Amino acid sequence: MDATALLSLRDISKHFGRLSVLRGLDLDLRGGEIVGLIGANGAGKSTLLSIIAGLMPPSRGQRLFAGSEGVGRDERARFAVVSHTAQTYPRLTALENLELFAKLRAQAGCHSEPLLPTLDKLGLGYAADRQAGTFSRGMLQRLALARALLGKPEMLLLDEPFTALDRPGRTLLASVLAEERDRGAAILLISHDLEALVSVADRVVLLEQGVIAGAVPRAPDNDTFGPRVRELAGRMPAVRVEAEA
Amino acid sequence: MVALRQAWLLAVNDLRQEARDLELILTSSFFSLVVLIMLGMSFSALGVSSQPLAVPGMLWLSVAFVGALTLGRIFTREREFDTLRALLVAPVERVSIYLAKAFVTLVILLGCSFITVLGLTLLFPAAQPFAERPWATAALVLMGCTAYAGVGTLFAAGLASSSGKNVLLSVILYPLTMPSLLFALVATRSLLEGHESFTTYLGQLTATNVLAFVVGAWLFEPVLVGVPQKRSGTARAARRRR
Repeated sequence: MDATALLSLRDISKHFGRLSVLRGLDLDLRGGEIVGLIGANGAGKSTLLSIIAGLMPPSRGQRLFAGSEGVGRDERARFAVVSHTAQTYPRLTALENLELFAKLRAQAGCHSEPLLPTLDKLGLGYAADRQAGTFSRGMLQRLALARALLGKPEMLLLDEPFTALDRPGRTLLASVLAEERDRGAAILLISHDLEALVSVADRVVLLEQGVIAGAVPRAPDNDTFGPRVRELAGRMPAVRVEAEA
Repeated sequence: MVALRQAWLLAVNDLRQEARDLELILTSSFFSLVVLIMLGMSFSALGVSSQPLAVPGMLWLSVAFVGALTLGRIFTREREFDTLRALLVAPVERVSIYLAKAFVTLVILLGCSFITVLGLTLLFPAAQPFAERPWATAALVLMGCTAYAGVGTLFAAGLASSSGKNVLLSVILYPLTMPSLLFALVATRSLLEGHESFTTYLGQLTATNVLAFVVGAWLFEPVLVGVPQKRSGTARAARRRR
């Protein structure tokens, strides 16, 4: 087990009846690192994220976050999740959406970043008083990210965050993630889009049929992942590989 | 106390959204009105001596119908926009979500019950004690609706998180809320007939409420996110090796 890891998964398995979704999975995530988890549809990526986020108990294995197995209120104050669904209240304005979570955090004794600057950072300052129901999917995705960044999380879990974003949105997200990593946050980025992952990740991990099939760190010299990523991605017909030369 | 304060914030948030689209309030109150009109038309010819037997049934049947409708939609926003997951991963006491939803359900049920009680008082002479003893009536309706909201919110949450069909809610809800509805029914009859046992029945209803909320609050988190298995993977692996 990596002593420096903020998140450690050991022998994690998840079964739904006879269906085995995750099988004896081990993964470490350290602070100041972006890990890209890639896998085809049905590989178990979202199930894994649910287990890490404490939304689902594993059938077997151990999940340690900052040395603790619990996913209580105090642990949840230290990480944030951005899902591929917007998870915002459509009848509330962008500012009210953030305000609600900031107040909930305050009641739990947790600090939150100033709301308007956080919205500005994600390029939503101009729409702060618009109801979230009028937002495009890309704007909702950025609002969800703004909510996640409110508490300066130590660990950030993102499930397909690039899906609804246009090119400027992707660039913005990549720069925000790099900033969070430089701050010391551990980031797990789940996607089936290799192009998006390799642009930001420090390590790419392939999840195949519920097991870790391989992992490739970014080469420090040429700042790319080399042919190994193409090898891994070649095992997954659904994965896009154009980005990595 | 943190749980209560967070529950209040979540309830205010729900009511604020409800005030903007009035979706649940309009649906439920209109449904109450329709049920009331149908009951009035069906039982208007009932003799005054028989009415004390029928009016409690009309009141609580209406609450049961409106309650199922309300509970079926109380988690709609969370289901459609997946905000329940956002709350579940936030530093929010999970019991706060339960308490907030139960409170909002209760507020809507009380509003609808007000329409029903008012209508019954106007339509049926035997329902006059509702107007003559307004505090007793208010306490009765509050206790009856609270038990219903306490039990119902738990199952509505379970179905919302598991993409269950709303039809299942009624199948599960009615048998489980039956004891509280029966207590409420008997208490209402004793109120209408002026029996001294009314306060005893009200006390039993209050005890049912306490039980409903304790069980609801206790089971809410396991219903939403499941229960971790006690045996660790390492222990199991060791057992397999042996």
